[in-house]
Amino acid sequence: MPNASDTEERTVEGTAGRSAGGFTPPGWVRNATLVVGAALVLLFPELVPNAYVLSAGVIVACYACTATAWSFMGGFTGYVSLGHAAFFGLGAYGTGLLIRDLSLQPFLAWLLAGLIVLVVTVPVGIAALRVRGASFVIVSISFVLILLLVFQAWEDFTGGANGLNVPRPFADLYRPDHHRIFYYLFVALLAVMLLTWWVIDRSRFGAGLKAVREDEDKAEALGVPTRDYKLAAYLISATFTALAGGLYALWFGDLDPIFQFSILLGAYMVLMALLGGARNLFGPLVGAVVVGTALEYFKLEFGDTQLHLVTTAALLGIVVLFMPDGIIPAAGALLRRLGPRQASIREVTAEELLARNERRAAAGGAGAPEGASRDAPDGASGGAGEPDSESEGGR
Amino acid sequence: MDGTLLFQSLVLGVLLGGLYAILAAGLTLYFGVMRVVMIAHAAFVILAAYLAWYFHRETGLDPLFSMVFTVPLFFGIGVLIQRVLITRLRPATLTMMSVLLTFAVALLIEGLLGLAWSGTQRRVQLSYSGSNFEFFGARIAVVKLIAFGLAAVSLALLFLLLKKTRFGLALRATIQHREAAQLVGIRTDRVAGVGFGIGLATAAIGGTALSLDATIYPSLHWSWIGPLMAIIVVGGLGSIPGTAIAALVLGIGQSLLQVELGTTWAQTLFYIALFVTLMLRPQGFFGGRLAQRF
Amino acid sequence: MSEKATETAAAVGLETVALTRSFGGVRAVDEATVTFRDGRINALIGPNGSGKTTFFNCVTGMIKPNSGSVLFRGKEITGRAPHRIARGGIGRSFQLCRIFPRMTVLENLLVAVRTDGLRQLLAPSRDARAIERARGLLVRVGLDHLENAEAGAISYGQQKLLELAGVLMSDPDTIMLDEPAGGVNPSLIGRIGALVRELNAEGKTFLIVEHNMEMVMSLSDHVVVFDRGRPIAEGPPSVVREDPRVLEAYLGV
Repeated sequence: MPNASDTEERTVEGTAGRSAGGFTPPGWVRNATLVVGAALVLLFPELVPNAYVLSAGVIVACYACTATAWSFMGGFTGYVSLGHAAFFGLGAYGTGLLIRDLSLQPFLAWLLAGLIVLVVTVPVGIAALRVRGASFVIVSISFVLILLLVFQAWEDFTGGANGLNVPRPFADLYRPDHHRIFYYLFVALLAVMLLTWWVIDRSRFGAGLKAVREDEDKAEALGVPTRDYKLAAYLISATFTALAGGLYALWFGDLDPIFQFSILLGAYMVLMALLGGARNLFGPLVGAVVVGTALEYFKLEFGDTQLHLVTTAALLGIVVLFMPDGIIPAAGALLRRLGPRQASIREVTAEELLARNERRAAAGGAGAPEGASRDAPDGASGGAGEPDSESEGGR
Repeated sequence: MDGTLLFQSLVLGVLLGGLYAILAAGLTLYFGVMRVVMIAHAAFVILAAYLAWYFHRETGLDPLFSMVFTVPLFFGIGVLIQRVLITRLRPATLTMMSVLLTFAVALLIEGLLGLAWSGTQRRVQLSYSGSNFEFFGARIAVVKLIAFGLAAVSLALLFLLLKKTRFGLALRATIQHREAAQLVGIRTDRVAGVGFGIGLATAAIGGTALSLDATIYPSLHWSWIGPLMAIIVVGGLGSIPGTAIAALVLGIGQSLLQVELGTTWAQTLFYIALFVTLMLRPQGFFGGRLAQRF
Repeated sequence: MSEKATETAAAVGLETVALTRSFGGVRAVDEATVTFRDGRINALIGPNGSGKTTFFNCVTGMIKPNSGSVLFRGKEITGRAPHRIARGGIGRSFQLCRIFPRMTVLENLLVAVRTDGLRQLLAPSRDARAIERARGLLVRVGLDHLENAEAGAISYGQQKLLELAGVLMSDPDTIMLDEPAGGVNPSLIGRIGALVRELNAEGKTFLIVEHNMEMVMSLSDHVVVFDRGRPIAEGPPSVVREDPRVLEAYLGV
């Protein structure tokens, strides 16, 4: 039986364990950051000096949408898709073609395109998830490559390399107003995604997805229908990506297979999500702001050279090798190391905790009576019942 | 399609399939030893092609001689990639993170090629570039035949290495069951490193063969990696003979379709084959039990 | 113990008929026909490489058998997806203890909460009932003080207990443990053994693969001995221990 000194040790371990689970700043810091962040995002169009910067803001908001959408699959399940540009392009072209060929109202076309992508993704997802891991990677890249081929080759329908013109939904607006409206539309889409993310994150579905990320066999053995869960996450991710693509089509008004079905766009999504932290609610958003701003700045300063390819590659390599969990957890770890208050909690390192637990287990195990006081008659078989008698037994 | 044309396409298909086979062999080798889908493989192929082109431009010698440098160089790079980069990754997330890593390497190579030699299309001009010869009525370009010969010889060597040598035995054991191989005393990490080296060496050979006959540009590797990945899935991930058969079948298929549909649409064959394989027989059509587990 | 065995002898739980699985030429499980009765602590023993773990994996759906069938209470479950088998009332642990290292101890248990239908799917995973139940189980295995610790940071022995608690979370009728005593110290083996006995008294059936003979002999009601992919002997521990075929298989005489 544990004695008094054990009990004291427990509380320390409990706290250390909590901080090991991830960096959690005090509530007010979190809330204040959220409020300031949201205010900055909403006021951005009023703060910018000119329409050019505003249009850059629209692009960054679009990146934030795609990176967040990507993380529904990449973050929750750990399945890395390099071909998410396929869904972006399908959403964009779907919207454009529905407007051109069926003369649908632009935003109706947009939603319908999202729905079409949802349906198309079902067989793709089933094929991609057939063989664990490898097939997903292969299908995800192949899908974007084949779509690039098809959209380039099928000129009669898609316009091919000549591009596709998407009429602007607000034809009578001036350029800056147009940017402003679309900025808010992207932000609204992002808000919907973040809300969805939040709901999934705390749900049983989310717990199952995270279990898949940690150990798929184990999750399966515990009764999680892993394939269905993965497919559902993939569908959500693809549809949101398509909606971002559709909005982009309505905003930009000119589509080209080379840019819409671009491997590089998929790489940006991965980089942004990973850099910010794909397992974090705001991680992909932060990553998109950092990387997106840098990309726009690069484009302005150096134009379109091969340099951005090299930089993207180098950055991606560094993130994968040195901070696969992203900057938010990395910054959290740094804060924890620097902050005095946090440091006192972190006095117990993981190794120390491990060593101590081993010692404790050895000691505790030896003293554990064979069944006697733990004999709760129907604890485990009686559903959630009888926890009282059990906790008595444990103390 | 008349008989001669059909025969011509068939022969061209075999030649193309041979090239696909040596290129995909490397890809399946990495997957076999490390469970890594090496996205950068095709980028290294293009890099080797560029080096062959550069070697030819600078020295005036036949680009084939560039292999004297590129093959050992690529072998070394392959070993390094495995020993320095891949082993740094957590085993639990190895497949996914290695994909990202090799993807980054592919982008890096593409970007560096663009910086070094610009995005301009390049082509090796040789005295025998335009030569053809007749083969039962089919006109076969000499360069295609050389490329095929190169691929066939290196595939045969690879096969002998795997089947006849002690190292080959260790490599096959590692591919089939890593833990079991460790238990019987095989140093699987070292084997995996050499496996990567050999894989990348095949990229050097394949790239040189490609340079004889193809117009090259930095982003060309994307149109190769897709078909190559499809081939290794159809052939059964990790199975080299399966890969070779799938490469030949799909190469011939592409060559035949090309006549009717043109090059772009013919390429979709690979993706359709990939999709059908995953739906019907995810373990691949030509062997490879590994696929079921990974 | 033998009393209890005869008492419940009627109910057949898990059984396999001519179950076969080969890995390239080698038959890891070779036409194995075995019956495990409900309410018992069954043990599956055999020399290394005798196919015990493959047998386990075939039964739980992790590996598809080449031929033969698996039945649970008379119903065919061969080749079903592992999560269906798990939901059907067969829980399992893994040979080298598998937990979710980057989740907290409590979250590890919440993963196993069953979900049917969209509403439950989106219900918060930390709902009061599930947490209450999880805490009850943590108390039971003696990990309640580590509820919020990251599972990867607790000791190996504690991870084994956590895995067991995770299996119990979905309240399975039959619990399959793959080497519960592997890699843990003797005192903890005693603790795990006591837990198994307790749970068995509450009506849980066990199927345990184990190398620790002391544990097997003291704990189990019924022992099945595997050699080269098929059962060669079975019976109460005292009988199996004396069986010449078993000695032969183990000592290679």
